[in-house]
Amino acid sequence: MGKQKKTDLLQGMLDLLVLRVLRHGPLNGWDIMQRIQLVSGEVLRVIPGSLYPALHRLEAQGLVAAEWGASENNRRAKFYQLTAAGRKQLNAEWETWKRFSSAVELILRDA
Amino acid sequence: MLSGIKTWLRALLRRSQVERELDEELRYHLERQTEQNVRLGMSPEEARHAAFRSFGGVEQAKERSRDARGVRGLEDLWQDLRYGARMLLKQPAFTLIAVLTLALGIGATTALFSVVNGVLLRPLPYRDEARIVTLWQSNLHSGVAREETSPATFLDWRERLQSYEAIAAIEPFGHSLIGNGEPERFRSWVVTENFFEILGAAPLQGRTFLPEEFGTGRGNVVVLGYGLWQQRFGGDPHLVGRQLTLNGQPHTVIGVMPPEFQYPPGRELWAPRGPRANDRQIRGGTYIKVIGRLKPGRTLAGAQTELQTVAAQLSAEYPQTNAQVGAVIVPMREVIVGQVRRGLLVLFGAVGFVLLIACANIASLLLARASQRSRELAIRAALGAGRARLLRQLLIESALLAGLGGMSGVLLAYWLIEALVALSPGNLPRLEQIRLDPLAGAFAAGLTLLTALLCGLIPAIQMTRPNVQAALKDEGRTATGGRTPQRLRQLLVVAEMALALALLVGAGLLMRSFVTLMRVNPGFTTERALTLEVQLGRNRTPEQMAAFVAQAQERLSLLPGVQAVGLTTALPFHDNQIVIPTTFSIADRAAAPGQESTAYQIGVTPDYLAALGVPLLRGRALTSFDQADAVPVVLINQTLARRHWPLEDPLGKKIAFDSFGRAMNCEIVGVVGDVRPRGLDQEPQPEIYLPYAQAPFGSATWLVRTAGDPLSLLPAVKEKIREVNPTQTFASIATLEQLLDHSTSRRRFNLFLLGSFAALALLLAGIGLYGLISYTTAQRTQEIGIRIALGAQGGDVLQLVIGQGMKLALAGVALGLVTSLGLTRLMASLLFGISATDTLTFAGVSLLLLSVALLACWIPARRATKVDPMIALRYE
Repeated sequence: MGKQKKTDLLQGMLDLLVLRVLRHGPLNGWDIMQRIQLVSGEVLRVIPGSLYPALHRLEAQGLVAAEWGASENNRRAKFYQLTAAGRKQLNAEWETWKRFSSAVELILRDA
Repeated sequence: MLSGIKTWLRALLRRSQVERELDEELRYHLERQTEQNVRLGMSPEEARHAAFRSFGGVEQAKERSRDARGVRGLEDLWQDLRYGARMLLKQPAFTLIAVLTLALGIGATTALFSVVNGVLLRPLPYRDEARIVTLWQSNLHSGVAREETSPATFLDWRERLQSYEAIAAIEPFGHSLIGNGEPERFRSWVVTENFFEILGAAPLQGRTFLPEEFGTGRGNVVVLGYGLWQQRFGGDPHLVGRQLTLNGQPHTVIGVMPPEFQYPPGRELWAPRGPRANDRQIRGGTYIKVIGRLKPGRTLAGAQTELQTVAAQLSAEYPQTNAQVGAVIVPMREVIVGQVRRGLLVLFGAVGFVLLIACANIASLLLARASQRSRELAIRAALGAGRARLLRQLLIESALLAGLGGMSGVLLAYWLIEALVALSPGNLPRLEQIRLDPLAGAFAAGLTLLTALLCGLIPAIQMTRPNVQAALKDEGRTATGGRTPQRLRQLLVVAEMALALALLVGAGLLMRSFVTLMRVNPGFTTERALTLEVQLGRNRTPEQMAAFVAQAQERLSLLPGVQAVGLTTALPFHDNQIVIPTTFSIADRAAAPGQESTAYQIGVTPDYLAALGVPLLRGRALTSFDQADAVPVVLINQTLARRHWPLEDPLGKKIAFDSFGRAMNCEIVGVVGDVRPRGLDQEPQPEIYLPYAQAPFGSATWLVRTAGDPLSLLPAVKEKIREVNPTQTFASIATLEQLLDHSTSRRRFNLFLLGSFAALALLLAGIGLYGLISYTTAQRTQEIGIRIALGAQGGDVLQLVIGQGMKLALAGVALGLVTSLGLTRLMASLLFGISATDTLTFAGVSLLLLSVALLACWIPARRATKVDPMIALRYE
């Protein structure tokens, strides 16, 4: 049960989490993965094989913009940054998630 | 939004760089993961492997990233295009033939579309052309449906008709130019007020006539046509405002019309026609064209009824001239293009047939190729290519072929249009409108698309049918080579043969019409005769004119190389004949009312009819003694004699008619043979020949019969005439043969084009049949080898192969005959002397097609007889 379920949920939510994580500044794919896992206290595990396609999809949709830069120890990495459209999308999806999760919470608690 | 587009463009245009970046990005991640693993205590080897495994599928991630870019569709398309191009390049012979065939088909169809567009479809350069109409008389007695009217009738129409904003009259005229290079005579039109306003065409330069310029003495102004301005005056930009000496008087050029302005066609000089003293008296001579602009709200039918009512009134008021004269309205466009519409549409349909045959050939070839690739296609289907993808692959190949064919076709069309315009009969209306323009380009693009679909869909759908198993099991080529594609190809060949037969029937009918026409006796001899049109009436009395003619005649007949000379006011096949329908009464014969006799009077010099080669059937010819003051005599032609004196001898009988306003009572002294007045397909009409001295019309034509080449004598002839009148100018100079040629030029043009299309269609259909039979025979090599091994002779093999092919040809001929029977009635108006279902033609072209089919089958059949059974049996 455990890990499998978390993975499925995570893939559906991946876009929202990525956008949120990028709100405070540009990050590369590795950093994004670390940040999500760190902040969620290792509860959420990101599969790179899903992350990178998601990042490229967001890039194609114009929600993030990418730039090559130097990471720590001066290696070249691709950094992603939220665009204005991405910011709007983040807020919209966050709202949707809040409504959705409160509804689920209501049912689980009181149904 | 913008960044999304930038990314998309980059993915499209910098594919390799984007791929490298993807690779680098994922490698970075793997390196970081590996480092982390090492920090967690794994060995470098293990760390790398673990990093790789925990990634979750690197290649799949790359694939999904590629999909996420959003250019997949385009990339696939590009890949398919390159693959298709490679396939085509691998078989250069096939590709070349296919592209050439399509180029020919698309090019020819586009060229003909441009012709149809320019002549029939483009709007006329006149304002609101639907309201512009032409008015004609119709002569119920002589059976002429549409003829010009007379000045007096025009004036009556102008007064009485209410349906028009304005109507105007147009009279043929001539202006002789001297003092500006070689003296030249221009045929011109003189027009009444409102002519240019009715048409609503603005001049290119300058202006058109003002109302006061139609008053007597104020009309020394002219408007030039574009062609004349360019050719005679070199397009001189300062010509407007200058004076030219025309007909001995200074005339000011006030305007130049644009090139599209061509009404009435054939002349490029317009001058004002003021009222003349005797306009109201001339009711018999018919030479006035009339145009009018309908008032808004008036219908054509209403105007027609009104016109016929007025014509009936005039019939009653002037029974001598206007009895039996009706009137008819014809819309302007009909007058300009009505004659050629049917022919052009038939040609356009014909070239469409050629294109269809070409497409069928290509489709058949693609079918053959596709069936050879059935195994490859089956494998690709097994590997997961959807049917749509396979279909697209095959369609792309035919699209590439069609695209190349279309582009070369447009180039070919440009050249073909130039050739068509150069070859076309000079009297093709709106010739200047024919050109390759964006609409033609769009038409070609549409044709290309249609062609791609037609050629590609049939094989594509056929070959992507899901019988993968059967194809995979199919080891090599079996004795059958696939049943269904064969039947489809057979159907295509039968269709091609049918279309080709239809075209051959059309061409055959036109050819027989033409041959029949050329056998018609024009009534005179056409070889070695020179004709020159002259204007005689300017500033001369009739006596002076007669004297001039006599003197010139004498000098000309003394010229070495001249066999005979004559002058006439109505030369057969000439386009400036003076047409005077004349009612006459026969002495001692009471004419029943409504039964008045009509004939056309022609003024001639004594030797003219002999010079023309018209036989004298009875009595005597006119002589120089039959002058203006002698007993008036006339000659009549056979048609007139037969009509009114079928059982008696007309010699010595007297007829009375009006000529030049004088009442004449003439004795018939001779009967001459008939001539065809304007075309070989026209019936002779009753004619009365008067001595020129008694009918001195202002415009006439010299006929000079020569011993040698007529044109070589031209300078000498001109010189002799100029000896009598130094400022003589000549309009229309031509040999009789040229005039005759000109009258059949439209027919020859139609025949040439339709014949070319038919020949091309025959060739393509023959090639199609040859291709199919070759292919199927090669497929059956094994079977044939077996038959030969079992004792079949060469003849049996020939019979086998040829029989297969001829069955198709016969089916095609049968289908074609049925189709032709239905279609040829559409071209009935183009034929002469034969019916649209002429059995001989149908039979003849069927035989021709079958012979070509036989040849197409015989070549592969012969190859088949040479099959070595041993090799064939081993061949797999």
